[in-house]
Amino acid sequence: MQSEEILQLIARSTCELAPALSTHTFRREDRLAELGLHSVDRAEVLIAVLEALSLTIPLAQLSGPQNLGELADLLQAKVDGR
Amino acid sequence: MDDRPLVTGVGVVSAVGQGRTAFASALFEGSARFHELRRAGRQRGTTFIGAEIAEIKCPSDLSARLPRAISLSALAAVVALDEAWHDAALENMDPRRIGLIVGGSNYQQRELTLLHEAYSERVPFLKPIYGLSFMDSDLCGLCTQLFGIRGLAFTLGAASASGQAAVVEAAEAVQSGRLDACIALGALMDLSYWELQALRSLGAMGSERFAAQPQLACRPFDRQRDGFVFGECCAALVIERPSVSTRSCNAYARVSGWSTTLDGNRNPNPSLAGEVLALRSALEHARLTAADIDYVNPHGSASLIGDETELQALSQSFLRHAYINTTKSIVGHGLSAAGTVELAATLVQMRAGRLHPCVNLDDPIDRDMNWVLGRAREHRIENALSISLGFGGVNTAICLSRSATERAVAPERVG
Repeated sequence: MQSEEILQLIARSTCELAPALSTHTFRREDRLAELGLHSVDRAEVLIAVLEALSLTIPLAQLSGPQNLGELADLLQAKVDGR
Repeated sequence: MDDRPLVTGVGVVSAVGQGRTAFASALFEGSARFHELRRAGRQRGTTFIGAEIAEIKCPSDLSARLPRAISLSALAAVVALDEAWHDAALENMDPRRIGLIVGGSNYQQRELTLLHEAYSERVPFLKPIYGLSFMDSDLCGLCTQLFGIRGLAFTLGAASASGQAAVVEAAEAVQSGRLDACIALGALMDLSYWELQALRSLGAMGSERFAAQPQLACRPFDRQRDGFVFGECCAALVIERPSVSTRSCNAYARVSGWSTTLDGNRNPNPSLAGEVLALRSALEHARLTAADIDYVNPHGSASLIGDETELQALSQSFLRHAYINTTKSIVGHGLSAAGTVELAATLVQMRAGRLHPCVNLDDPIDRDMNWVLGRAREHRIENALSISLGFGGVNTAICLSRSATERAVAPERVG
């Protein structure tokens, strides 16, 4: 799975949690906190994405990325490294 | 000046009606709605019966601010609280002087059961929000966020006396001066098949005798009773200091006295001595005699031993003369919510000047009590006594007295 596909998966999971963002054009530079998601919502998005990717890793391993693009890249690496 | 607290707001959600007016109408008509339980998570090869709320209608301005997914108990709580809040016009009060006490513990069991079932094979992907929502106190977080409550908020567990215990603590908090108003909310007890099964096995919950006739099953104080019948409900009462400006003119009644006694008993069997002590202590606290009480709203759960014991307690407390009816025969047993819902029933009867009938009381175990039978009757309650009893040896009693500051309302506004 490519990083761009994962980015779109993150976008879909985010919109399921926050329907108001359904008209937002998600970009690599976006940050969930700046899009208005509080900590619990951000954790919910990440868990939903992990389940969609069938990745069972601790959320702590996803704390490095500074934006959605870096997050998608990291998740791609995790998927490829399985 | 009489500084005992007043009840200035009432909100109710129940299977027989949402809102004070619908609730009161159902009580006066004696229109119960018991059936085989249908909500997901209530049956597992079983046919438990009870009363379930068809739909909770949330005001649009409130629903727009609700989080994405909240439990049934939470939805009932915010809707009941919203009604009581506006009834008491609490938006005009300093939020730091307003408190919330939620009566009940483990009241989201069905939601938790469904969640556990859904994630049993995928635990790593359990929704993180569970880390907040599994706790009863999540209801406090939600309500304080939605209503801007800043004074105090916590949950209080006393089994089936939780709802009344919450009112007792709210009255104490207000009378002490710590708060100007405290909402006592009896949380909707959302039982799963686990709790229903255990309560049936304990012999506490019915009905074997009327399993095929749910409408006949809930029979407090009747010789054919065989245990309580569950009913979804939730109520919020605003308990307020009488000295707070001119707000007191909206009072339903004064909380004139209260009592909580403990039997020192973990088992579910009732204590005659404990109940008598609770009744007498509440009267003493209210500065009333038994003769002053003209209406009793009993616990009346349809327990085989409990109902007998409670009537003995009323007799020994010289309360046989008072009108007595059985709110649970119409609403069902709300467990954590029962105490506040039955106080709400008492208050709407006080406001309306009418008493609702007992349903299914065809052959009372004591015919000489002053039962309200058949149809609603006109009666202007002066002093009411409400009783709630809980597993773990908890006995609570609250006196509500007609207050000189009650709002003058035409009887037809309620019921």
